Amino acid sequence: MADRSSTAPRREPELLPHQEPAVEKPARAPRNGWVGRPIERKEEQRHVRGRGKFIDDFKLPGMVHMCLVRSPYAHARITRVDVSEAEQHPGVICTLTGAEIAKLTTPYIEIGPDPSARIQDYCMAVDLARYQGEPVAAVIAISRGAAEDAAELVQVEYEPLTPVMSAEQALTDADVIHPAAGTNKVWQGTFEYGDVEQAFRDAATIVHIDRMHFHRFSSTPLENNAIIGHWDQRDENIRFWCNNSFPTIGIQLVAPALGVHIDRIRVETHDIGGSFGIKITNYPYMTLCALASRKAGGKPVKWTETRTEHMLASAHGNERTFLDTRVALDRDGVIIGIDSRHLDDCGAYPRYEPLGCVIWTQVFAGVYRFRNARINFSQAVTNKCPVGPNRGYSRMQQLWFLERCVDLCAHELGIAADEMRRRNYIRPEQFPYTTPNGCIYDSGNYPGMLKLAQERLGWEHWKKEQEKGRAEGRLIGLGIGTTLDSGTNNFGQSRIVNPHAPFSGNSQAANVKLDMYGEIVVSVGSVPQGQGHETTASQVVCDVLSVTPDMVTVRAGFDTERNVHTGHTGTYASQFAVSGLSAVHGAAQKLRKELLRLAAYALNAPEDQLELGIGKQGAEVRVRGTDRAINYWGLANIINVNNAGLPDELQDVTLNCRYTWRAPFKIPDLERKYGNLTLTYSSQLHIAVVEVDTDTGNPKILDYCAIDDCGVMINPRIVEGQVHGATAHGIGAALIENCAYDDSGNMVASTFSEYTPITSVNIPNVKYGNMETPSPHSYSGAKGMGEGGAAPVHAISAALQDALYPQGIYITESFNNGDSIFSMLAARRQGRSTAGVRTERRAK
Amino acid sequence: MYPRPFTYHRAASLKDAAATLAELGPEAKLLAGGQSLVPLMKLRLSSPAALIDVGHIQGLNYIRAENGAFRIGALARHTDMAQSAAARHVPILHDCAAGIADVQVRNWGTVVGSIAEADPTGDWAPVLLVLDTEVECLANHGRRSLGLAGFIQDAFTTALRPGEVMQELRVKATERGSGGCYLAFKRCAPVYASASVAVQLALEGATCRQARVALGAVALTPVVATESAKALEGSDLNAKSIARAAEAAAASCEPPCDGRGSTEYKRALIRKLFTQAVNVAARRARGESVEVSHHYA
Repeated sequence: MADRSSTAPRREPELLPHQEPAVEKPARAPRNGWVGRPIERKEEQRHVRGRGKFIDDFKLPGMVHMCLVRSPYAHARITRVDVSEAEQHPGVICTLTGAEIAKLTTPYIEIGPDPSARIQDYCMAVDLARYQGEPVAAVIAISRGAAEDAAELVQVEYEPLTPVMSAEQALTDADVIHPAAGTNKVWQGTFEYGDVEQAFRDAATIVHIDRMHFHRFSSTPLENNAIIGHWDQRDENIRFWCNNSFPTIGIQLVAPALGVHIDRIRVETHDIGGSFGIKITNYPYMTLCALASRKAGGKPVKWTETRTEHMLASAHGNERTFLDTRVALDRDGVIIGIDSRHLDDCGAYPRYEPLGCVIWTQVFAGVYRFRNARINFSQAVTNKCPVGPNRGYSRMQQLWFLERCVDLCAHELGIAADEMRRRNYIRPEQFPYTTPNGCIYDSGNYPGMLKLAQERLGWEHWKKEQEKGRAEGRLIGLGIGTTLDSGTNNFGQSRIVNPHAPFSGNSQAANVKLDMYGEIVVSVGSVPQGQGHETTASQVVCDVLSVTPDMVTVRAGFDTERNVHTGHTGTYASQFAVSGLSAVHGAAQKLRKELLRLAAYALNAPEDQLELGIGKQGAEVRVRGTDRAINYWGLANIINVNNAGLPDELQDVTLNCRYTWRAPFKIPDLERKYGNLTLTYSSQLHIAVVEVDTDTGNPKILDYCAIDDCGVMINPRIVEGQVHGATAHGIGAALIENCAYDDSGNMVASTFSEYTPITSVNIPNVKYGNMETPSPHSYSGAKGMGEGGAAPVHAISAALQDALYPQGIYITESFNNGDSIFSMLAARRQGRSTAGVRTERRAK
Repeated sequence: MYPRPFTYHRAASLKDAAATLAELGPEAKLLAGGQSLVPLMKLRLSSPAALIDVGHIQGLNYIRAENGAFRIGALARHTDMAQSAAARHVPILHDCAAGIADVQVRNWGTVVGSIAEADPTGDWAPVLLVLDTEVECLANHGRRSLGLAGFIQDAFTTALRPGEVMQELRVKATERGSGGCYLAFKRCAPVYASASVAVQLALEGATCRQARVALGAVALTPVVATESAKALEGSDLNAKSIARAAEAAAASCEPPCDGRGSTEYKRALIRKLFTQAVNVAARRARGESVEVSHHYA
């Protein structure tokens, strides 16, 4: 399945013509308005004052509570579930067991093809428990306390089975987790571009890396999953109040499982305390709440997840192992080919997977110029918590892999880390750049970011400190992490994992209207979790209508019945700044046109002499250079409540304007696995200076710099906040947070005392900087940037490598803490080799 | 996150608490700050049948310097200790109080409660062990006083008898020329230590006249490292003698290998923390004012 258009390895990709027509360029908005200003967030007041409305704050009449009984085993046959004693407990209304679930629902639709499509995933374990924490029974009672007391009375008998705890073990199929599928392999495919064999024949050096491993972690949103489900017996409609962050996907899975039409389901979201993608996969709990509500006689059922439940059984990020990696380099240290085998562990049920098996290819090439590469990618189920699209989803693993390759090669070849990257980066003049797999990088300037980061950090100062320190026996390292945050994805890439997947493109909808007294009301069906959508949407509208943010009300939050949405609506994958705000912009422009037409009639003046602005009576349209004006109240009045005698040519004016924005995507070439998968590519460049304590192995960050390029910033305050948040998440992942399991399948970090999510004492002062390469693919020049590519994980791995390379230690794990570094140092002192990296030099 | 059912009793006085405890038997527990007990109850890892709340008793949150001793009342919070003018002259107490978890925990949790819990990873026990600390206990039938070393018997186990409550801790004031330091390694702010070291030294000129060393989180109870202290005593605290004492401290414990790290890693932490703690304690003994902070991942 090689890229047919290539016949030889190419070192100078800039000579290639674009293999795909560039994305259609939208007209660029002017740059002197509200967009780009660091205004205070509209949401701040209510959140700082504790006035947000979260699902657990909702108390509905007649509401009852659900508590779940969960499997203590990672892998076991359920031989008996006895709920009789629990049902006798005071306050208990009913129970649900796996046997009932199997009768009441059908398994969720699997996204993957055969045989993984045959996996039977219900909202509760039916006959086999497949991860520690999987629900095996539910108790519904008049209070949460009564439900928890009764849940302890549910008797479950298990017959333990061999737990399958790694993708490598799973792929042997010695123990098959889903007998219906007959294999643990969820998906497998080879992504091959250019001429890999030729590249390796031409190589001056080949670096072999036996095994690298990207660990499991979670971004642990502050608010756990929470759902209220109500199966209304009067009209048989189902209503959910929940914090699912991608409800349109959620209901497309819940409705068929329940056997109901999707239009009978109403989903509402309100304030959400972080999701980071984790809450996309809480739909099994939505299903459970609906069934519990029906069995409880139509009472609303609330389920609020505990932190331990969240750690055990919500979702973790994808774990990935990279095997038998070979990197071909020319004599200048320029990478000309990569060949590798990647195994992804998706946990007990695929759920949103195997989409991750293609989503990483949005950044197949990372920030590098190589054209020849072959990656054999497999995904397997294991007896661990199912994965979910955690911040940096599926791309950060690939970016870390590439950064480790580049970094290890630099050390092996004796090329300085910064020089190695400069030699391999895609060059600024190459944008828009078509990657070997057909993705179009819209804009970027990686060498420029590196330069900025080095200046901001004081690279030269730290290099001297490192040298001085080495003379004193100190282990100091500088590490660079360059990453991409690909935003606004083309759902057509799902066809690469399953040609029958009924998804492609991307779209978002918005509505902007004048309400009856002239209020400007924006509706976006997005699902913000702290991203400040109300603020950024108002900034966009202000520029179109020449008003101020306090005059704009933004209704964010999903509501199937009452707010606008398309089938892609949700807040995920770094896209609101492009997809959501393009929709808001389109709707605001439609309203502006209507306002001008209407004002022209009301003021009896030609449209081209009118302007929008703020007058003595608020927002208005006036005749330029005069005091002849009509304010928004007057315009709204004409259309909404005073519309007799409206002339024929204005009959279509509603002042209630909806716009659906669609991304200009095509379906990728499935056979070649080729095409544009994402609209925008933000980039991040982080540098970490880390010292390793020679006695304890404890790493300490001495200095840290984060540069972000998301094109035109809608609100620089929000951008900076996102960078700090993503940096904290990444540092936590690199050094502290690990969803570790023991060999028996026990999740050993099931509380915050053990998982130790990062706190302020662990975070260094971050030297933040920004660079702007406007995107030609969005009207504003903005690029999505919420996830951040887990740059700290890459930068810290590289810094540790730099500190420890002279000790003969290779960093091949993404998670490194004092304990693990201590054992690597101890092993080296005893002369044991810690990892397999070897360099083959060829006479050229 | 709801505890199993329990009955709630609000004590009017410590005497009342002791009487209620005697009446309700071993299934009853005292509730003071609740920063350990409440989370354990929510996780249903601890399920007392009854709670006797002493939190509303007035006048028990004192920290007083009196007759050459500090008296720490049953309800003195970590924050009270961190802000105590009386304790300012014993910096090791401040090191410990200010480094416990986060501000919310410090505002609720009590020093006495932490000792009563006898968690092997708790912060207070090693600190109070290097000072002369007596535990004042109160029961229906009278009072008694125990040395802290004998009071802590095992992990989560103290010498408290049925019906007995802790009234106060009495810490002997340190002399001029004495200095201490407490340092822990914690993976993040609100968690228990992976390892901790408390050191209290008395200097005579440049020579260490007396040393006390206690280690936390490296055994089922805090470890009083006598050999390590002996290695310091009589020395002028040069790098070599400190290194020897650090080695003795590491050898005096058998840290459990767990999610916080391997046995040898924790021994390395002990050596590191010990070395810094001795240096800080010595400087403080010489009258210097030295600020320290725990080590975090």
